[in-house]
Amino acid sequence: MSGDRVLEADVGIVGAGPGGMAAATKLAAAGLRVVVLDEGQRAGGQIYRQLPKGATSQAAMPEPPSHDHGHDLIKEFEQHAENGLQVIHGATVWDAQPGLLWFEHDGESRLLRCGHMVLAPGAYDRAIPFPGWDLPGVTTAGALQVMTRGFGVVPGKRALVVGSGPLLLPTVTSLLGAGVEVVAALEASSRWRALRALPAVAFHAARRREAMWYLKQLSRARVKLQWGWTVFACEGDGRVQRAIIGKVDGNGRPRKGTERTIECDVVGAGFGLVPSIEIGLRLGVPSQFIASRGGHCLVVDAEQRTSVSTVFAVGEICGIGGAEVASAEGELAAVAILRELRGAEMQPAVAARARLERKAADAMLSAFAPLPGLHELARPDTIVCRCEDVTRLRAGQAAAMHGKTMRAIKVGCRAGMGPCQARICGPSLQAMATGDNECQMDLPVVQVPLKPVRSETILNAPE
Amino acid sequence: MSGRIPGMAERELVEFTFEGEKVSAWEGDSIAMALWAVGQTDLRNSSSNGAPRGVLCNMGICYECLVIVDGETVRSCTTMVQPGINVQRGGKR
Repeated sequence: MSGDRVLEADVGIVGAGPGGMAAATKLAAAGLRVVVLDEGQRAGGQIYRQLPKGATSQAAMPEPPSHDHGHDLIKEFEQHAENGLQVIHGATVWDAQPGLLWFEHDGESRLLRCGHMVLAPGAYDRAIPFPGWDLPGVTTAGALQVMTRGFGVVPGKRALVVGSGPLLLPTVTSLLGAGVEVVAALEASSRWRALRALPAVAFHAARRREAMWYLKQLSRARVKLQWGWTVFACEGDGRVQRAIIGKVDGNGRPRKGTERTIECDVVGAGFGLVPSIEIGLRLGVPSQFIASRGGHCLVVDAEQRTSVSTVFAVGEICGIGGAEVASAEGELAAVAILRELRGAEMQPAVAARARLERKAADAMLSAFAPLPGLHELARPDTIVCRCEDVTRLRAGQAAAMHGKTMRAIKVGCRAGMGPCQARICGPSLQAMATGDNECQMDLPVVQVPLKPVRSETILNAPE
Repeated sequence: MSGRIPGMAERELVEFTFEGEKVSAWEGDSIAMALWAVGQTDLRNSSSNGAPRGVLCNMGICYECLVIVDGETVRSCTTMVQPGINVQRGGKR
């Protein structure tokens, strides 16, 4: 790999998950110079995360049928990576302008100059604060996936899985595959609300197959998904030792008198995903708020092009949709770029597939839009901003004194000013501070660096 | 109780220290996962009340798992173990 501080490419791609891989493969196959910047150590992103290099396994985690597609994508991508496609793993992109991507890699400050750009940074777990969510052993659902599938580490002895949405199922099966006892799996949505997802699953062959596989895994382990339940609190001395669980109403509000205590040493909480849009906002791309797609997401045209003509966006950054949507949109963006740069023909079948996958995902995820009543789980003394240790009470005081906007709350109590840059607290902070459960999060204020990097990286940034 | 999933992802052994104690890890482990595998989930103290904190997102987003490696504060979930490094609990930030 080249150690040059400044790299040049026809197309720069951010992220090596399904969207980034699909775009990169298609563009590299057409002979374009492509550089992929990926924060992970290996290709695959979070959904198709690979084990560390050099790992040998006699035992494999159980895998749903959709992962075959992931293996194919990774195989093709890695073949291109050996033949001209340049992939830089461990790269943190901290600033972007059209045609320019500044990143830190191996402690070095580097710059990628590129004609076109494909943004495929993915998503992260939506956190909902509840008492004790800051205890060690309480993690996001995604964290447990990384732990088990990405590193082969056993999370604990007895796990509780809570949250909402389709990702609870892979979390449970990964825990089972790791030999962990899943003491309960709590879906906050009611069974009736979730039934709205049924047609979208039933009429989509791959999703139907996937759902059947998961249900088989759960029933084999005698784990039952409990609808309309969630975690009320976690307790323990230095690590979670027990959880208080209970029923919620159709809006997600905790129902008093339904509490039960359950012993566990791991809690995985996954209340859906939030699109990682910061880089798009920095590039000046307009966004829209779609609750069932995870909140603020980038606006793109029918070929994944943003309002900045050289910048394309694919997958979760355009709204949560899953791996199939991401790879279809990645391919579509590549087709559009090839049309512009090489005069290649449009491929209506590729565009149709991306539209179809997006539509199917929207139909399914509309049944799992975040439940506003869950914002009542946090108590006045619950820490809502973990970076700055701000309690719900203090955030509420700040909102009362300074105003109900994100900016006012930040200034008033420092919530959202820490290194996570409000990625964790942001989606629920305003609702918690204002007491208005339905309150939507303001568009995040983009900060540079987009992620914390060394000060030398910023000072020594190549021009 | 944590540990390794039997027969999965076996790699070469690497040793480092956490708070002066020797830890055996596998090559390619993140610091956070190497520590979790030996039951160490408490990685730093919160600045307000000293309460323990550990891994939340495990993918470099939340900055909850900060530790100090040879003097530099890093995310333990995205920083890989290297032989001989000295890791200390992350403190205030």
